[in-house]
Amino acid sequence: MVKRSRKESEGETEEVYEPSKATRLYIVWKKLKRSELAVFGLGIIIFAILMAALAPILAPYSPYYMDRSLRPPSMEHPFGTEAGGRDVLSMVMYGAQISLYVGFGAVALELAIGLTIGMIAGYFGGIIDEVLMRVTDVIITLPELPLLIVTVTFFETRSVHIMVLVMGIVGWPFICRVTRSEFLTLRESTYVEAARSIGASNRRIIFSHILPNLFSTLIVLATMDIPWYIFYEATLTFLGFGSSEYSWGVLLEKGYLLFIGPERPMYWWIVTFPGIALFLTSLGFNLFGDGLRDALDVTSSGR
Amino acid sequence: MTLRNYVIRRLILIIPTFFLISAIVFTLIHLAPGDPVMVMVSRHGLPQATQDRIREELGLNEPVPVQYAIWVGKLLRGDFGFSYVTGRNVLEWISNKVPATVELILIAEIISIIIAVTLGVIAAVKHYSLTDAVCSVTALVGYSAPSFWIAVIAILVFSMMLKWLPPSGMYTVGVIWGSPLDAFVDHLKHLIMPTSILVLGWTAYLFRMVRSSMLDVLNQDFIMTARAKGVKERVVIYKHALRNALLPVITYLGFSIGFLLGGAAVIENIFDWPGLGEFIVMVASNRDYPALMGITMIISLMVLIANLCADVTYAFVDPRIRYD
Repeated sequence: MVKRSRKESEGETEEVYEPSKATRLYIVWKKLKRSELAVFGLGIIIFAILMAALAPILAPYSPYYMDRSLRPPSMEHPFGTEAGGRDVLSMVMYGAQISLYVGFGAVALELAIGLTIGMIAGYFGGIIDEVLMRVTDVIITLPELPLLIVTVTFFETRSVHIMVLVMGIVGWPFICRVTRSEFLTLRESTYVEAARSIGASNRRIIFSHILPNLFSTLIVLATMDIPWYIFYEATLTFLGFGSSEYSWGVLLEKGYLLFIGPERPMYWWIVTFPGIALFLTSLGFNLFGDGLRDALDVTSSGR
Repeated sequence: MTLRNYVIRRLILIIPTFFLISAIVFTLIHLAPGDPVMVMVSRHGLPQATQDRIREELGLNEPVPVQYAIWVGKLLRGDFGFSYVTGRNVLEWISNKVPATVELILIAEIISIIIAVTLGVIAAVKHYSLTDAVCSVTALVGYSAPSFWIAVIAILVFSMMLKWLPPSGMYTVGVIWGSPLDAFVDHLKHLIMPTSILVLGWTAYLFRMVRSSMLDVLNQDFIMTARAKGVKERVVIYKHALRNALLPVITYLGFSIGFLLGGAAVIENIFDWPGLGEFIVMVASNRDYPALMGITMIISLMVLIANLCADVTYAFVDPRIRYD
């Protein structure tokens, strides 16, 4: 204290290098760029987003347009047509919309639920924390896919939105646990104590002092979770719990069902192309997530 | 705390967990629109009097907490009720499905552990080498590929194009009347595809765990000390490092039962493997609530017990955990 006041009286101000938000983003980008795989992953993600966004312009046909059925790939239909005569390429492009919507939607929802519950448990502690964490512990041990299957049957109607909702309901505990443990640590930190001592409200402490510190961890976890939700949507649709008309899961299901029959002719194109799309998208998010984790220096592991 | 006390404490903790899970399952079912009788009506078309009688029999006129108490009481006595669709005893039905799934999961688990630990150690020891790069990229690819798609492609290639492996079932019809050896070989052929696909997904996951855990340990001071003392490199790796690196991996083995059960849900459906995964999809599609509640409870219990075993093993090999 004494030392500081002396400094001030001498008119000296301590210069602390504090990078601006833009600079910090640039630093992360520079670190990320060092990993070629991460950049490649980002490229795939951008490609998938563009494909989804520009499907109405770029796709050769509408996903509902029916031509002759079960045509192998040709100039007219580069990926062939499915049993209903719809163009597989167009369905794959439009399908990207559904997959990305589910991926981002489910992650947004799980973040919203997990953050809220984790914040309440971690910041207030006590009996609330105890009860919430026991519930979280239980849900986190249960296998996700069977849980999704069970939960999705409780809804009378089947739609993509319901699927996103179900994934949010099932997926939040991990985010919640991470949020809670970070809150528990940061709640006791000196700078939060300082903020409290000068009269900062709970809201201010939570939102301006603690939450920003969670950002990088949560971004990495969210990126790594997106491919899982895209998988789950395709898997649930494949198993017959979906309702969409042209998602990748639908194509895979339709193509697979053609295998079951006395003759089993080889309609390989119907299952191959949507599967590759699914695989590449997931690879993209995983590579980017790995790179992001290194760039942001996040130590907590994914699930 | 002794190991015995630790195990007892963990066993006691299972009880509240069981009630919590049963409460969650029960609540979910009761949030579902339409009551079970309506499900039966839509299936069999029952007169009003019969509907009322069934409601009475199932205790659906009681208040919800009472219904829950009755249901849990029956569960504890091993009475899982009867299927709405087939009328079969749920517990009996599920227990018929358990062996097929256990076979699939156990084989996949053992093969995955062997491959993942071997490759994980090699990749970590030869960090940044070509072997490491190849293994890591392969793992990432295996991790990113949807297993049900790989399964579909495998059927396309190995069953339909090459005709090497059967596409579905556990046995070829009629093979049990042939010689036992033929039946065994036939069964093995049916096993190859479903297990390999489960192995692919789980090995990729486990490999990443083993590798990063091993890397962490190899960077620690006691490894440097051992090397400085002149301990042989092989002893350093297998005795000093690997033992410690496998500790966190044990926790993941408990978790793996859940992961593999999830994978089995898809794989069993594709390969017509008559196990729990096929069962859960079937009863879920039929909205057969007693069977669905039963299978959810059974799967939860399996996962709980697997986690308990993993934790106890951990406590056994790493005494530090017991003083937590």
